[in-house]
Amino acid sequence: MIVRIDPETSLIDTDRRTEYRAMEAAYHAGLPAPEPLFLEEDASWIGRPFSVTSEVTGGQAAAGGIPPEHREAIGHRKWELLGKIAALDPATLGLGEVMAATTPATCALEQLDYWAKVIETDELHPNPVAHAAIRRLRRNPPPPAQKLSLVHGDYRTGNFLYSPDGEIKAILDWEMAHIGDPLEDLAWSLDPLWCWGEPTRAGLLLPHAEAVRAWEVSSGLTVDPEAFAWWQVFAALKGIGIWISSSEDFHSGASKAPILAIAGWLMTDRQQRILTDYLSPHSAHRFVRVVK
Amino acid sequence: MIPRGSEAIRHLVTRIAMDLMPKATDAYTATDLGLFTALLGLVAQDYDRAAEVLVTEHAALMPILREASTHLDDAALKARIAEALAAPAPSLRISALTARSDTALKLLIDVHAAVEDAQAAGAAWAPALDSEIWRFLEAHVAAHSYESAL
Repeated sequence: MIVRIDPETSLIDTDRRTEYRAMEAAYHAGLPAPEPLFLEEDASWIGRPFSVTSEVTGGQAAAGGIPPEHREAIGHRKWELLGKIAALDPATLGLGEVMAATTPATCALEQLDYWAKVIETDELHPNPVAHAAIRRLRRNPPPPAQKLSLVHGDYRTGNFLYSPDGEIKAILDWEMAHIGDPLEDLAWSLDPLWCWGEPTRAGLLLPHAEAVRAWEVSSGLTVDPEAFAWWQVFAALKGIGIWISSSEDFHSGASKAPILAIAGWLMTDRQQRILTDYLSPHSAHRFVRVVK
Repeated sequence: MIPRGSEAIRHLVTRIAMDLMPKATDAYTATDLGLFTALLGLVAQDYDRAAEVLVTEHAALMPILREASTHLDDAALKARIAEALAAPAPSLRISALTARSDTALKLLIDVHAAVEDAQAAGAAWAPALDSEIWRFLEAHVAAHSYESAL
């Protein structure tokens, strides 16, 4: 079994209940996820809320460790599974009880407001590129979501366990799960940060167009390029929000875990480069934006 | 000869990576030490370039703000620009230069928003200034970027 205890602080503000219920919904829907066994929100037992899941054995998560001969198969499976998540109905799964209600017309700007507030609250130094992105996204809201779905919130290579023979054994890290536009997960999964150094291989696995095709077939949805372009910018901005927040935790002393500082420095730098590439009128467009 | 800051930091990185990491008794400690070496590598880069970057950026930003001031109507914003332009040069300590940079970048955020508003309203001068601001932001991001094996 695996016990997950609420951290004092982490890269993101976690909610053990949201994570547990999202993972539970995914598991019961037949997706590869650790089997949820027990949730305890009362901190009096061991000092903090915790959850217990079955252990998934024989897998590893390191993005750089995927054998080259399995990249394509794992890549297709990765986006096929994301499409299955997108196909889930949060209402049927009972997730409306634990996750904030939203609508197809408002979910995008609600997410933007959330992350803009994180950036404005936690930035240690001004981030003019992030603020330009916030304004650009507000000025040009996307069309309403095709549907509301369960959004994993951090679906990327590194957040699933794969076996040596190339099978995805478990999708992990559901703590940012929420109800929203399924394009949010797709854009996050394709963010250039996750294929730094190999910008044409999404998630270090597949060409972007192949990933999108696998997702469309599995989800039954069609990517609207206009909406997707909005979510791409949002994904990079959300990344900055996460990294800024983590470096603020490191700076304030809430945690001295070096990963928080690395994220705040190096990942903020890279995410700013991505945003500048997306937004500047002088951009050389190094990163992939057209995905179909 | 005494090693200079960034060189000394790199010596520390080598010592941690070559001598201390292999002696770590558990995976978490070894991972933390690896991250310390990466973090120190970033610090070394900043140590060497910080003064140049902060001074050069300030010099590049002031003409943009001056140009914006000739177009914008917002009196409060114009007053902040005037204050920034008239501010005496601080010491060359990184903390002082950083404080000046933070003030200027906050001002740039507000100026950029105002320029975008003007552009949306059809002001003929706004696209060129927006373009200049983006050139500055591109240079800003490039100047602060890190080399890292991670």
